[in-house]
Amino acid sequence: MSWQEAVERAKSHIVPRTYDVLARFPYVKDLAKEVRKVKEEVVKNLDYYIEELKKSVERIGGTFTLAETAEEAREAAAKIVGRGKVVVMGKNNVAIETGLRRRLEEEGNEVWETDLGEFLIQLADDEPSHILAPAVHMTKEKAAEVLAKRLGMAVPPEPEAIAQRAREFLREKFFKADVGITGANAIAADTGAVVLVENEGNIRMTTVVPPVHIVYDGVEKIVPTLLHAFMSAAVQSAYAGLYPPTYLNFSAGPSSTADIEMRRVSPAQGPKSFHVILVDNGRRAAARDPDLWEALLCIRCGRCHMHCPVYWALGKEFGVPPYTGPMGVMWTAVTRGIKEAGPHALKCVHAGNCREVCPMGIDIPKVIHAVRARYLK
Amino acid sequence: MEVSIDWVKTLRDLLTSSLRDNMLPLPVDEKICTKWQRGLQSEKSHRVLYTSCMYQIAPVIQKAVENLEKFGVTRGGLLSKAASVGARLAGGLVLRPSREELERSNAILRSIYRLLKASGVEFGLLDKEPYSGALLYELGFVDEFAEYAKRVYQFFKERGVREVVTVDPHTHNVLEKVYPQYVPGFDIRVVSYLDLVDAGRVKVKARGFAIHDSCLYARHLGKYDRVRELLKAGSPVEDFYITGRETSGCCGGPAESIAPKLATRIAMDRASKLSKLSKTVVVACPICMVNLSRTGLVEVKDISEVLEA
Repeated sequence: MSWQEAVERAKSHIVPRTYDVLARFPYVKDLAKEVRKVKEEVVKNLDYYIEELKKSVERIGGTFTLAETAEEAREAAAKIVGRGKVVVMGKNNVAIETGLRRRLEEEGNEVWETDLGEFLIQLADDEPSHILAPAVHMTKEKAAEVLAKRLGMAVPPEPEAIAQRAREFLREKFFKADVGITGANAIAADTGAVVLVENEGNIRMTTVVPPVHIVYDGVEKIVPTLLHAFMSAAVQSAYAGLYPPTYLNFSAGPSSTADIEMRRVSPAQGPKSFHVILVDNGRRAAARDPDLWEALLCIRCGRCHMHCPVYWALGKEFGVPPYTGPMGVMWTAVTRGIKEAGPHALKCVHAGNCREVCPMGIDIPKVIHAVRARYLK
Repeated sequence: MEVSIDWVKTLRDLLTSSLRDNMLPLPVDEKICTKWQRGLQSEKSHRVLYTSCMYQIAPVIQKAVENLEKFGVTRGGLLSKAASVGARLAGGLVLRPSREELERSNAILRSIYRLLKASGVEFGLLDKEPYSGALLYELGFVDEFAEYAKRVYQFFKERGVREVVTVDPHTHNVLEKVYPQYVPGFDIRVVSYLDLVDAGRVKVKARGFAIHDSCLYARHLGKYDRVRELLKAGSPVEDFYITGRETSGCCGGPAESIAPKLATRIAMDRASKLSKLSKTVVVACPICMVNLSRTGLVEVKDISEVLEA
């Protein structure tokens, strides 16, 4: 099956579903407006909110690291993880952006992606083609072949069977894991609480089963309050066409109990330690950039991809994975600079669909045009 | 599918030198821009009908790129250097629209003229039809565009123009949205002929066609509904996922001059989807007309060929 067929199939499933969700739950559009407002507030005062978040994370018994570069971020995580450990990861674009998995493997750790799509990408040694559905370019036949080739698993080329075999394989890893690493859909500055949206259950396992939970994501995920974090997660899942999400996870510190004399102590059943590594890697400079700042409002719903004629034609050749499609061209500029984003910005045909369907109302064609203009100077 | 930066910069040089010489994006005979006016009356008015020579030269741009593509120029390397490209162009291989193409674009512009007249609009015609510079801006050559746009503004001012009536989305977009940002004191009103035509006074000649929206009209300039209002009597075939405002696609045109293979892929995909609705597709943009026509999958008509005064 060609990319064109794969993307048409994906579109035919998710585009009508998203319209249906938005029609059925009209309050989501109002929430989206509110989320845009508060994210803009955070982007304009990013350093203040980073400091607020640091205080909150430390108050709830976690550690906080601000990593300015990809290398600093990888090293901070590698230091917490150590050597010879089993690590399970929830799908995390910032981990891909910064090359985290490879770095942890260099230290002799056994690292597993637990999101089914990302797991298949890991096994195939491939690159993600969509911000939410990394294996959207992979057919069921290819997925079955990858499982057979890399793990010796005979599995019929059916989504249900593939999901079942991955479940059996990964379940063992979850229970052996020393460290769980996730990203975040939103992080609340007032409480240090992290919100994660998912459907598979792998993130809930990753955040609860291993004794150590590391949250590893970009500084732009900060929102002012816990309530905004929930709103952001709701909007993200609705505009991704997957609403309600099967699971919505909150994690705020190591596990705790107040059952004895009502004194809160840690740990209880979940992780003993909770670490937040927030990655800058171009984001704080972008926040001050007259063209790129708007990219930081993106909540990663992946809807713009499904409405973009260039993405339909090129898939992951439009942008640099994990940042592909319209949002991906902007994010390639944020994280890799104008020079790497420029050649992709040149492919934009300013169809404008991306802006129309963006829950944050980001003027994506305008940002991409600015990237190409700066690249050509 | 990589874009060659060598080629993009060569293209910039070709465009800027041609614009400098004759205020057109390619070295074509400027008379082809005003030929459509023959025998038509120009009223003394501060409002002018301005074609930006878009319908007239759109087929030439496509042919130029097709020829350069054959020589591998758009893939970069030595071939894309200005001297080599200049030689290909100067060889006269590519720079004349065919007689049929020119006759068709003239007929389209004359139809627009008649539609406006039938709607009671008063306007004058221009002695020259300089290009707006839209392509320079769209490609990302903002400084070069800004410099050129001042000349175009000057051209209008010298002729006492206070309002231009545009006939295509690229010109309209650049004049309405971009000129005010780059031309100090820009004070010319910009109006699309689509908004001046009186839907009650024109007829729709075709039926059962599909509409392919210009991206600029539909999503940047708010004319999605206006196009439908004008074409309503022709009962266009609509499908939310093919002709919806947020779901329809591009004709590939904006990628044509720098990534022709990408442009072709987008055009084929678009035409193939439209052909499921109807074999006749109505467009409102000369770039869409050229790009979708060459797919061979659908018959493409301009909206002004379907509307009758």
